[in-house]
Amino acid sequence: MILRRARYEVAGRVVGPALAALDAWRRRLRRRGGPPRAGPFGPPLESVRKLKELMAVHYFRGRYADGAVPVAWVTSGFPVEILRPLGFHAVYPENHAALCGVQRIVPALSDAAEAAGYSRDLCSYARTDLGSAFTGRTPAGRLPRPDLLACCTNICQTVLYWYRALAAHFGVPLVLVDTPYVYGEARPHQLRYVRSQLEELVRVAERISGRRAEPEALADVARKAKEGTDLWADCLATGRSRPAPWTGIDGFFHMAPIVALRGTEECNAYYRLLRDELRDRVRRGIGGVREERYRLLWDNLPIWFAVREVATLLAERGFNFVCTSYTNAWAEAGARIDPADLIGSAALSYTHVILNQDLPNRLGILGRLARDYAVDGAVLHSDRSCKPYSIGQVDLKERLAGELGIRVLLLEADHSDPRAWAREQGESRLTAFMESFG
Amino acid sequence: MLPGWGGGEGARPALTRNQYIARQRESHGRRAVAVLPIHYPKEILTALDLLAVELWGPPGAPRGDAAGRLQSYVCALARNALAFLASGGARAVDGVLFPHTCDSIQGLATLASDFGGWDKASFTFLHPKGPPRESSREYLAAELRSLARALEPLAVRRLDPSRLEWAIRLHREIDESRAALLDARPRLALSDAELYALLRRGEWLWPEDHLAELREARARFPEGPVRPGVPVLVSGYVPEPASFLEVLGRAGAYVAADDYAAVGRRVVRSAPGSADPWQALAARYWAAPPCSTRSADTAGRVRHLTGLLDRSGSRGVILHLVKFCEPELFDAPAIRQAFAARGVPVLVLEGELEAELSAQAATRIEAFAEMLSAGRAA
Ligand code: SF4
Ligand code: SF4
Repeated sequence: MILRRARYEVAGRVVGPALAALDAWRRRLRRRGGPPRAGPFGPPLESVRKLKELMAVHYFRGRYADGAVPVAWVTSGFPVEILRPLGFHAVYPENHAALCGVQRIVPALSDAAEAAGYSRDLCSYARTDLGSAFTGRTPAGRLPRPDLLACCTNICQTVLYWYRALAAHFGVPLVLVDTPYVYGEARPHQLRYVRSQLEELVRVAERISGRRAEPEALADVARKAKEGTDLWADCLATGRSRPAPWTGIDGFFHMAPIVALRGTEECNAYYRLLRDELRDRVRRGIGGVREERYRLLWDNLPIWFAVREVATLLAERGFNFVCTSYTNAWAEAGARIDPADLIGSAALSYTHVILNQDLPNRLGILGRLARDYAVDGAVLHSDRSCKPYSIGQVDLKERLAGELGIRVLLLEADHSDPRAWAREQGESRLTAFMESFG
Repeated sequence: MLPGWGGGEGARPALTRNQYIARQRESHGRRAVAVLPIHYPKEILTALDLLAVELWGPPGAPRGDAAGRLQSYVCALARNALAFLASGGARAVDGVLFPHTCDSIQGLATLASDFGGWDKASFTFLHPKGPPRESSREYLAAELRSLARALEPLAVRRLDPSRLEWAIRLHREIDESRAALLDARPRLALSDAELYALLRRGEWLWPEDHLAELREARARFPEGPVRPGVPVLVSGYVPEPASFLEVLGRAGAYVAADDYAAVGRRVVRSAPGSADPWQALAARYWAAPPCSTRSADTAGRVRHLTGLLDRSGSRGVILHLVKFCEPELFDAPAIRQAFAARGVPVLVLEGELEAELSAQAATRIEAFAEMLSAGRAA
């Protein structure tokens, strides 16, 4: 145990950073002497290097986590602030599945899940992650085996079915935070329910970790999570400038720390760096797209495997996604966290995430984003894999167009399974959409 | 098939649902509430003198202007229900209740109520997920009370505790009768189509009327010798299209054990009693057979199904699923693996609540039944 713990620390503090630095140096070397980056995008963000290093170290350290520290696999909307003070290493299967999506290995992993009987009609994140668990195949090298599965249904019910399958596969306990869907206002007994489950969670997590959740430690993580959320919100807010200093697509990648490292100082340090760079670009008038002509809003998850190609197609004609409802969700989730009452405020905060609230609330968020970021149009990604995010989009399209007078496109795809993406058809729909702007 | 709500109405072409709803209103002053699948405390509606009319689809292609408001990758049940509500199909009722069954119904509740499609009263019953815990027990009790309070204005009456106790007893009796009919299935001189028509009329009849029909059926069809044919266990969502049962029968098989969400999965065989009606309602919820949409643990569900198989002597299993139904699709691998390990053949049928069974599905059922009977002969 002591040896493993030492290995985990060395991996995170010494070897991981050294390998990441070496990798960055190699990349720079490869680029040196090459032609300057052409294309429709502005100069790349300097912070990207730090982002890569941060996430590479996180995954690298994770390889040595099991047996060294308690490991929890958690859903993206889980109140991880409660687990961190107990020393848990948190693994985010959704984040990992997104990584698999970017690397286009989802079909192979999904095949493994399908061979075990899981239908291709299920969420591709779930299929990817189950396929990875069944085969051990992962672009992260290795994922640590969980001691605890921690699932919150505030994003969907799918995660509960998926985590139950993981619990059966690994033979480890599953804690559930079941968040009643909010129609209008959450009722007091519903918030009490979430709160009691968080109290139950503390007891389970204490038992597994063998540590006590000290109030000061909980408050400290809560403070950091809140600060991280605010910093992320600051980064996103720079997109209101014209030109926006980055693209919404950049945002999809830069959100990894607020999802996977929320409540840590590394996460906050990173967002300070990114915020400062973005503000600097705003001051200097540097855009994420070289010639920003039209500003767009993106709704739903990205199409991970085609994110760059879609952004490029649009950027070539001066279109930039300056805001997305998905990245914005992470700027709102922690806003209600109160370090003086982590449990109570987490119950409130995590019950009110975008996917756990009704469609008028969603329309309100989209409308606010559209106005605050002064967008000319919106692309609603109708994501075959994600029903909770996609149900209602046909109506949202009509309402956004009618109420805000903007052009709106409903684009059918999948967030990580390329087999559900008709590329040519998708591109011609996007092209026709752009042409409609004149 | 009678016009209107569709499903399960074949045996007694006396009144359509809409006529029945109107009759209930005229004769008893009863208002009606359409209820989306699956689990809800019907006792509360009965105690408030509200007629529950369940909306399982209805089957067939979605019709009307709202047919395209949900993407084609959303299950047919949610798509059809929205189209049905928005085209005025449920105008005979006074409200709709959306239980917390899955993401799709959760989304449908806000889509229809907030963005158009349903402009009368709507209610939600957000039942807890997962196994019973201290937190979920307390929450369920509060949610049940909250639903009752929300329904009172529609019912134009306060919930009388003694009336709730009466309703609990009534529904317990209905459960007993339904269980008795399902258990006696192999010895009843009723076809599957007839039995299901009878059981599914409970989706919309006033409970006392339903109980009277169940009693009558038990009296008219006493248990006889074991019927010929291959017994199978069917687990799935809803026995639609109804021709599924006919095809099964023609192929020489019959449903010896039922785990349909619409039928057997809602028959509670033994719930601990309680002097407090709210406790009794909660106890019934937790005592119901395991269901994917309540997020029962899968191992428990597999144990329940293997128990059904063993007790009924079924020789094979049909998983009759709705395409894109995540709760059920996630449980399917564990169920298939468990039966495969025991050498029990499993047929997976996936449908989209079509009005008629496809020729391909019929062929697969026939081949499956044939294989099972050949296995028996050997
Ligand atoms: S993509 Fe959608 S369905 Fe899949 S886990 Fe995320 S929220 Fe749930
Ligand atoms: S997804 Fe399944 S449980 Fe949900 S409405 Fe559709 S058929 Fe019913």
